Amino acid sequence: MIGTGGVRMGGAGVSATSGAGGASGTDDLALATRGLRKSYGPRRALDGLDLSVPAGVVYGFLGPNGAGKTTTMRVLTGLIHADGGTVEVLGKPFRRGDRHRLFEVGALIESPTFYPYLSARANLRELAASGAPVPSKRIEELLDLVGLCDRANDKVQNYSMGMKQRLGIAAALLSDPKLLLLDEPANGLDPAGIVAMRDTLKTLASQGKTVFVSSHLLAEVQVMADVVGIIAAGKLVREGPLKELLSMQGVIKVRVRPNLVDGAIAALAPLAKAERLTETDRDEGWLSVHLGTNRAEEVNQKLAGAGIYASGLESGTDLEMLFLELTGGQGPSSSEGEFVGLGSPNGAQNGGAPAGKGTAA
Amino acid sequence: MRLFFSGIRKLYRRPATFVTFGLLVGLIVLILILAGATASRTVGTGSASGQSSRAAIKDLLTFPGAYDRMLSVVVSIGGLFGMIYGAAIAGSEWSWGTLKSAVARGESRVRYMLLSYASIGLMIAIGIVVVFVIADVAAVASASLAGISTSGLSDTSTLSDLPERLLKGWVAVMEETALGFAIATLARSQLAGIGAGIAFYFGEGFASLLLPDIVKFMPFSVASAAVSTGSGSGLGGGASATASLPADQALVMVFVWLIGCLVVVSLFSDRAEITG
Ligand SMILES: Nc1ncnc2c1ncn2[C@@H]1O[C@H](COP(=O)(O)OP(=O)(O)OP(=O)(O)O)[C@@H](O)[C@H]1O
Ligand SMILES: [Mg+2]
Repeated sequence: MIGTGGVRMGGAGVSATSGAGGASGTDDLALATRGLRKSYGPRRALDGLDLSVPAGVVYGFLGPNGAGKTTTMRVLTGLIHADGGTVEVLGKPFRRGDRHRLFEVGALIESPTFYPYLSARANLRELAASGAPVPSKRIEELLDLVGLCDRANDKVQNYSMGMKQRLGIAAALLSDPKLLLLDEPANGLDPAGIVAMRDTLKTLASQGKTVFVSSHLLAEVQVMADVVGIIAAGKLVREGPLKELLSMQGVIKVRVRPNLVDGAIAALAPLAKAERLTETDRDEGWLSVHLGTNRAEEVNQKLAGAGIYASGLESGTDLEMLFLELTGGQGPSSSEGEFVGLGSPNGAQNGGAPAGKGTAA
Repeated sequence: MRLFFSGIRKLYRRPATFVTFGLLVGLIVLILILAGATASRTVGTGSASGQSSRAAIKDLLTFPGAYDRMLSVVVSIGGLFGMIYGAAIAGSEWSWGTLKSAVARGESRVRYMLLSYASIGLMIAIGIVVVFVIADVAAVASASLAGISTSGLSDTSTLSDLPERLLKGWVAVMEETALGFAIATLARSQLAGIGAGIAFYFGEGFASLLLPDIVKFMPFSVASAAVSTGSGSGLGGGASATASLPADQALVMVFVWLIGCLVVVSLFSDRAEITG
């Protein structure tokens, strides 16, 4: 899989994001939904979803299992119809009967689908017979892009899961879409495949294409997305440029002697409200303070002022933490009292992460 | 047009196409050879049942009448296979999710399904002609095995009627195919479509014993009635109705069923939620 390793040219249009619930101003958006509602029988999957996806960005679409991500993608591709609300695709309304809008959209929804008895090449060729016309050399380019050239004549039924996924990504790119919708595209990809896909998506965004990608790999989203939207129970709970969201979501971790944990909490109280102060692991003496990461020195100073000397101090920002906080962090054991659960900081810069036990994973 | 040719390519590469065709040919040839062998064995016997079965087989294998008989065989057995084939093709679009990919590319669902049916139509047209020729060859072989004269083989008036007969036979099989296609679309599954189709086929044959006046309007009965020339019995599964419609009336009913099935396919595909 070649990565095309293009360099990102900054997040063009990122600043155009409106916050959650911003009802108007869908002009420079590649994709916008307003008040989108959808129920499957009695089960409500989307409950007034407002998404604003600026053009030319990689948009990370996040949410817990069953939050409605796939449902949203289905509505956006006309596979199902919303019960209410509006959708704009590439600046124009997308309603029942506006299927031609999809000629400029590529999608991989849930799992890739193919004729098992046909080869990869034949599958792409037959898929290209539907929707927008595709030049035949495009198929070869895509097979090359996803690294399936050598196996392009093999029947898809003999493909591994990751190979099918690669082919699904190629299929989504078939019409060189302006808007790409990918539902958990990293499913089954090997590490090299994931890196290459990330590079490919970033390159596409740098060419002005918009990539709307759902994923549970938050560390991956954190390095790839320009903008993220987090949904839960069919509603948007946070949306905005990733950097902005994370800067509000700094975390500073301090390690003190275990018997001094209570003293440390008291010393840090003036800096952060109780719910922003988390005891991660009392036995090891780890504490987390949810504060802008630029305030690490201040934390250290406060502790020293109380005669407590930290044996470890780390600062970082973490999408996972933001995600868990916003979506109710349905981890195995949310901690007691005012201490909120804390995800293990695998997205944070510093190594030597604390053992973060008894926390949401 | 792109979609139609794509449909043809997909069917041509599909193992089910050749499996269905091979089974159909094998079955028909087997039946005819067995008929010939049975007739040749009953030549000398004086028993009444031996005589009557020899008479029936002679009726089946004597040309030019045998042309009609072969067409009936091809339509009745071919109809069952056509229905299974139609169900397999339509059902797999749903169960493999390939319809989903096309719809997400902005393709019209109705156009996609109808063109897929149309490409089946071309394959079946070719199939019917080839199977009919093979059936006639087998009938000739079988007739000579049984010592039945094949002098009527080149009867010109029958031969000149053949294209029209084959066309009607094709329409009849296409109606049965449309039925399988529609059932599988409603069931969104090849297996369910095939199962329900086969149940329909035998159910209709069984019901014809009890409710002949209703069953004569049913899909398999009208299909075989539309190609029958009034004489002879042919070999019919569901089609062995005692009461059957006159051929031209049956042909109208064939079109009614065919179009009805396609309307169902269109309406259902258009409205369906594709969540696979
Ligand atoms: N075909 C369906 N029939 C009935 N309910 C459905 C169907 N598809 C989804 N749902 C329900 O709709 C809700 C949203 O499902 P959806 O697949 O959109 O979630 P998701 O965010 O994609 O989850 P995941 O991360 O697990 O992929 C869930 O409660 C689910 O049970
Ligand atoms: Mg999903």
